[in-house]
Amino acid sequence: MVQLASGSRVSDRSRSVHLVLSWVTTAARLVLGGVLLVAGALKIGAPATSVQAVRAYELLPESLVQIVGYGLPVVEIVIGALLIVGLLTRVSAVISGLVMAAFVVGIASAWARGLRIDCGCFGGGGQLADGQDPNYLWELLRDFGLLACAAWIVARPPGRLALDSVLGLTGSPKPDEENDGPDDAGDPSSENGSQGETS
Amino acid sequence: MSKRTSEAARARIAAQREAYRKQEQRRRITMVVTVAVVAVVAVGIGWWSVAQSRSEELAGDLSPVTVQSDGTVVMAKPGVTAPVVDVYEDYQCPACRQMEETSGATLKNLATEGKAKVVYHMITIFGQEPTKGNSLRASSAARCIADGDKWLAYHEKLYKNQPSESVNGFTLDDLVKWGKEVGVTDSGFESCARGQQKTAEHQEYSNKILSAQKITGTPTVMVNGKPLDSNTAFVPSALRDAIVNAAKG
Repeated sequence: MVQLASGSRVSDRSRSVHLVLSWVTTAARLVLGGVLLVAGALKIGAPATSVQAVRAYELLPESLVQIVGYGLPVVEIVIGALLIVGLLTRVSAVISGLVMAAFVVGIASAWARGLRIDCGCFGGGGQLADGQDPNYLWELLRDFGLLACAAWIVARPPGRLALDSVLGLTGSPKPDEENDGPDDAGDPSSENGSQGETS
Repeated sequence: MSKRTSEAARARIAAQREAYRKQEQRRRITMVVTVAVVAVVAVGIGWWSVAQSRSEELAGDLSPVTVQSDGTVVMAKPGVTAPVVDVYEDYQCPACRQMEETSGATLKNLATEGKAKVVYHMITIFGQEPTKGNSLRASSAARCIADGDKWLAYHEKLYKNQPSESVNGFTLDDLVKWGKEVGVTDSGFESCARGQQKTAEHQEYSNKILSAQKITGTPTVMVNGKPLDSNTAFVPSALRDAIVNAAKG
């Protein structure tokens, strides 16, 4: 039987570290989810501008431009809301990480190709007028920061104040009972309990 | 360990396993329901987004379109002088093309219904090649068309054939060919377009608009002199409301 680290007696110190780390996850969820939700909400009402912003990157074929232009704001709103309430946290964080990675690639490539476009991140977007300069560096730094938030959430979901915990959707069904102390019988409620069940 | 305690332990483990199995089952059901609900909500949001931003269909005969002496083009029913909807566009600007595709029919319908006087101002917003040259060639050729209806058809034709911003496009051959395709029969058109006779006129007008600094980019739609934001100009229903409300106020 596998003995989990969490199954052994946990010192007060590592317990408080654990608590702090799960609050960090909550903060990362709120930042990433909040940005996504706002970005999606600002675009959802005018999908034609969103389509235009995607097209301005000149990376995707026209058919995909339409799909991404209409679909991205929906994905941003849904994933953003899920992250904020902590529902399907890990999957949402993975998707948002992929989305952020795509943004980073898009912006970096626009920069490298010398395009002069607005990223369209929060609505608007497209070609800039003369005299206006794109701010690619800031956009990239922001998206890398958000990517880091996503990575953190993927590593340590779902954090405090998460619906996943309330609904029992987390990987370990009884997280609170695992710290009860050593259980030589091999507590089946541990994360690896399913292995014991099938053997 | 005595036999009794080991039996008790076994029973306890069995009970725990059963409890765990039930819990896993509940977890799975909750997961499926959650994913389903999220999917339904996502589809709902997407549907709403598409539905509320749908383009209008052209309804009825177009109101008269007249080319003015300064090269601007007015589309309005006779006698309709307000509200004035000024549309500033560049033939090479992709966002302008997108706006024409999305909201062009709304502007035409509002003019047809006598609810707006639409004025097209074609300018060149680009300062670098190849976009600047593309824009100038197209604008110059369009100015060679004196008939309003043909101008409007040409305007659409140019947007449909808009080149990428990274290539030389709107070639003189194409510009002449498209003119004939939309029914320009005026004998002077070809030499005017090919000779780019209206370029200076266009540049002068364009510079006048840009130096007035009323607009910061293209497309800009102004209703009675007030610019609309893109969440209005690119959403047909919102654009219609903004213009109709301007007529009331």
